[in-house]
Amino acid sequence: MINFEEELKKFHPSLEIEDAEEAIYNQDLTDMADLLVSLVKEEKETEHSSESATEENEED
Amino acid sequence: MICYNCGATLTRNPFCTNCGVDVTRYKKIVSSANIFYNDGLEKASVRDLSGAVESLRQCLKLDKSNVDARNLLGLVYFETGEYVAALNEWVISKNLRPNKNIADDYLSMLQDNPTKLDTYSQAVKKYNQALNYCYQGTLDLAIIQLKKVLSLNPKYVQAHQLLALLYLNSEQWEEARKVLLRAQKVDVNNTLTLRYLREASLVLNMDDEHSETKGKGLKKDGLKGKREKDDLYAPTVLPRDTRTITTVLNVAIGIAIGIAVSYLLILPAKITSAQDGMDEKLKTVNEQLDLKTGEIAQLEQDLKSEKGKNEKLSSELEVYIGEDGAVTAMDNLLGAVSRYMDDPESTNDIATLLDKIDGGTLEKASDSFVAVYNKLLGKVGGDVGSTYYDSGMRAYQNESYADAIADLTKAYSYDNNNGDALFNLGNAYRKSGDVISAIDTYQKVIEQFPDTEMATRSQQYINELNND
Repeated sequence: MINFEEELKKFHPSLEIEDAEEAIYNQDLTDMADLLVSLVKEEKETEHSSESATEENEED
Repeated sequence: MICYNCGATLTRNPFCTNCGVDVTRYKKIVSSANIFYNDGLEKASVRDLSGAVESLRQCLKLDKSNVDARNLLGLVYFETGEYVAALNEWVISKNLRPNKNIADDYLSMLQDNPTKLDTYSQAVKKYNQALNYCYQGTLDLAIIQLKKVLSLNPKYVQAHQLLALLYLNSEQWEEARKVLLRAQKVDVNNTLTLRYLREASLVLNMDDEHSETKGKGLKKDGLKGKREKDDLYAPTVLPRDTRTITTVLNVAIGIAIGIAVSYLLILPAKITSAQDGMDEKLKTVNEQLDLKTGEIAQLEQDLKSEKGKNEKLSSELEVYIGEDGAVTAMDNLLGAVSRYMDDPESTNDIATLLDKIDGGTLEKASDSFVAVYNKLLGKVGGDVGSTYYDSGMRAYQNESYADAIADLTKAYSYDNNNGDALFNLGNAYRKSGDVISAIDTYQKVIEQFPDTEMATRSQQYINELNND
């Protein structure tokens, strides 16, 4: 049996034309490719920092 | 496919030939995005719009630069009534690929048709208003508002669903089912639509089954609560013949109601319309009547004025051609002159003509007229006067004083030197009993012929008359 109150919660106001600009600006456009790039970058940085730490230890 | 690191076109190699970065996982991501796009496209092509939205969103989560997926997502949003969401997608798509992008056409289509855009905007505003009504508990208003929304944009799936929910809540199952079927035509596989539809159909089927069961005289167990309550109002199944008669009766009643409604609603409107037409015609006729009345009044005024002028001219003409008129007087004078020229001795005829010219006419007459008159009177006056004197004295002697007064008056008027005529006129007045005229006449005798026998006797008569 349908619970009206619960079902009503599933409905949300539609975007009005006045809100369009704000919605476009605030839209999160981060995709999986962005995440991949950031992950690769982090990985490189980690590798770079670990290599430099090893070199410093060897010099010591 | 381009390298996410340097933007160079990628080859089949698992690395970028330009910058050397590993693109194995990147290629897998883009490949997965394409799979979702294809799935979305396939679903959209069979009007599974909600499914298409899910797939296309997944695609864009993996690869935001998939312009085709974004454009298609916008198109799907637009189809379901979410036109602002559609605009968002197309605007972003346009930014990602400024040239050779079909989003351009979509945006132009909306921008070139502001009326349509305004209609969609109104639909969305009203939908949000209806949703507010729902939150506030004014569900009747919400239903009315949603009906307006659907009249503005019949493909607004969310509005259909909300309206269906309101119908389900108010147990209007059939109405809910109709609304949901319309929503299903737009989006065939929407989970919410299908769930509500199943609910409505379930109740409707239970109703049908329940009716059939009751018709067979069987009591169905397991239906409790609302179903049992509805039993009280369930229609009684009648025998076939009775149902036929009932149907005929219902049709007859329907026709009667239709006719009554026609008379009550259509006929008064027609009568009112006809009356309006008649009123308009009457108004026009009245205006014309007023105009004509004004014209008639003006014409009457003119006629009156012309009549006045005519009367004035007639009276003026009468002055000239009447018995005492100038023209007649002129005729008489000319006649008298002519008569005198023919026979100067015919004093009676001449006197008759001159008598017709009265004193009033002479006062108004021209100087030349008066001069001619006086000259002729001088020529014949003495003779005429003596003629009247003789006849007057005869009448006096015959004691016909009225005739004597008339003739003696004329005799004196023609000959002012005839004192005897004036004195005997006084006598005639005295004998006729006209004392005042007699005294006046005797007074004239005393004044005009003083120191004469006539004056002495006149004074005596005056004294006698005064003493009497």
